[in-house]
This record gives sequence, structure tokens and C-alpha cells, in this order.
Amino acid sequence: MSALAGFGHFLPDGVLTNQTLAAEFNVDPEWIVSVCGIRTRRIVAAEETVCDLAERAALACLHDAAVTADGLGAIIACTGTPHRLFPGVSAEVQKRLHAGGIPAFDLHLASTSGLFGLALADQMCEPWGPTLVVAAETMTRVLAQGPRVKETAILFGDGAGACLVTRGDAPLAIRDIRISSDATFSEALRLGFGSTLEMDGRTIILHAVRKLVRAVAELLERNSLRVNQVGLFLFHQANLRLLERLMRELKIDRSQCFINVDKYGNTSSASWLIAASEARAAGLLRPGMKVVVAAFGAGLSWGTALLEVV
Amino acid sequence: MALDDRVLEALARVAKAPIPTDREASLFDTGVIDSFDLVDFVADLEKEFQVKVPDNDLHPSKFESLAKIAAYLSSQGAS
Repeated sequence: MSALAGFGHFLPDGVLTNQTLAAEFNVDPEWIVSVCGIRTRRIVAAEETVCDLAERAALACLHDAAVTADGLGAIIACTGTPHRLFPGVSAEVQKRLHAGGIPAFDLHLASTSGLFGLALADQMCEPWGPTLVVAAETMTRVLAQGPRVKETAILFGDGAGACLVTRGDAPLAIRDIRISSDATFSEALRLGFGSTLEMDGRTIILHAVRKLVRAVAELLERNSLRVNQVGLFLFHQANLRLLERLMRELKIDRSQCFINVDKYGNTSSASWLIAASEARAAGLLRPGMKVVVAAFGAGLSWGTALLEVV
Repeated sequence: MALDDRVLEALARVAKAPIPTDREASLFDTGVIDSFDLVDFVADLEKEFQVKVPDNDLHPSKFESLAKIAAYLSSQGAS
């Protein structure tokens, strides 16, 4: 059985408020809250790179798991916003952690990368050893700049999250993971070479609601669980209105759902790992608790995981 | 009741702005529904017309105007 031995996250110091965006786009700050529930997002400084965020989250994760870098068996870096095509973020993290000689590779899936990385780590950690999954994004650098597009500018933020997947006893056992992709509407969310993020929000929302509701319901059914038996839902923090819709459709009480999208915006692949790291740090993961992770993103791709606090 | 009237009834349940009389007018551009209303609207249409919109058909372009909605539902056997 695989398990999560620790979490970590890092958020850059820069804060982008609704007041700033409202002035830029000549809208009411409360309009931004009404459409996405986001009040602030973190943004990287000019000199910061996605690798800096990944390194800080990775170090925090290793500290939380009480593991040193020489105990790692593999590194999976998850990002849709790498600093270059190759060598990737994983290579830079490996170099900075002084963890040479182990496999390190990038997973470019955007918002579902962290969950797909977890699914891979679940399979890799036995043959290779403790596998670090680190998801880092500098989303604000891939947003349209001239002219800026308010629909995406209000949504995204920068940040990184990480987890360490090991075999055997660890605080959070992995009970089930399912990942899926369907490219029928792959053009609805894309980032081309040297381009900026393009998103058909209507298509994304339609599919996110349908596929996530279905996937979570299937996960619960497969594991003979009812919604009220889940202690915590860690959804990809895309948009508060989407989270509210998922809670409504699945009959999830607000108290069961960890939400930080209001503070950090959509940090893509990093979002559920940042949420998990914050939930753990806040002592919300109690023994015996079932935790459901669910993410949706470019591809289109989506997935769910069932974790149990041991 | 005619298909168009039943679509109008379903649309009225989620509409945020007056429904345009022009059957070709975009329901998005005229502010009648937004992305999240569309989720409700499609679910409502599935119930009202007892059809299942398969994932491969789940695209806003099929629900952009009254004319497109009627054409799509007709193609699915609704009447």
C-alpha cells in the first residue's frame, strides 16, 4: 500500500488584489468576487522562477515527512508553466536538492498534473523508493499581456505544492486513484509555444461539473462510501463558483470542503497540493478520516483519489 | 406544447436577462445565461425532453441560441 508521508507548499510574497485588477479593467472589485469568489492571488517576483517555487515546496515537504533528499527514489515535477522545454523543472529541483542518480521527469498536464503525478508515484514508489511529487506554476506569466484578458487575469495565481509518496506506514494511505482523459474538446484550454493561455470557459465549466460530479460519485460508490462519510474534500481550486456547484450537486456540506481559492486564485496543478498541505498544517486531517481529492483540467483530463488518515 | 415553447419555459427558469425574440441571437452575448447557468439549463433540458446529452455533444455552441437548441434537441429525437 502506498501512502503520503508529508506535504509542503510555497507561495510567493507578491499579492494581486481585486482592487488592482478592478482598476485595470474598470470593473467593480465585487464583480470579480461574484464571478469567481477570488479576492487575492499570489504572483512571482520578476527574478523568481517556477523552479524556485518548486524547490521551496519540495524542501517544505521533505521537512514535513522528516526525509532527507538522499532518501528519495524519484522526482516528478508537475507543471503547465515550465521555465523551458528541457531539461525541465524536475532536473532543476533534483540539482538543487542534490538528489542525483534517481529518475526525475516533468509531467506537463496543467491542472491535473499533481493528481496524475500522484497516480504515477503510487506505482513508482515501490520499485524506485519514496517519490517526490512537486507541482509548481507561474500562471500569471502565461496570461495575455497585450491586451490583458480580464476573464483569465482574475482567475490565476502562482504557487507550488508537494507531497512525498512512500510504501508502507505513513500518515495518509492511498486507497484508490482513478485518472482519465478525453481530447474531444482539448482545444478548450490550451497554451501554445510562445503564446498565452487560451480558455473557452463555458466548455470548461460544462465538462468540469459533469465529469467531476460523475467521477467523485463513482469513487465513492467503488469504495462503498457515502458523501457524509468523507471528512474532507480537496478539490482543484479553480473557481469558488465551480466548487459551490460541485458541493451542491454532490450534497457536500461546506464544512467538508477545504477552500483557499479565495486567497490564492487558481494555481493549476499546485492547487490541491497547497490545499492538502494547508489542511495538514491546520490539523484538519484526523485519524480515520477519509479524504477525497478531485481535479480537472486541460486535455481535457480529470481524476479522483481516496485517501485515509491512518 | 411545441418544442420551442418548452425550450422557452426551461430557459425562463435560468434566464438572467430578457430572452431575445430573435431565435438566432446568442443567449450568452445577450446576457441571458452564463457558464454556470448553462450547466443548469442543459440538465433541465435533459429532464424536460428526456434526452441525454452525451459528453461528445456537450459544447456551448449547441446551446447558443433558441434555433440551435431546437435543432439539437430535434436531432436527438425530442419533439
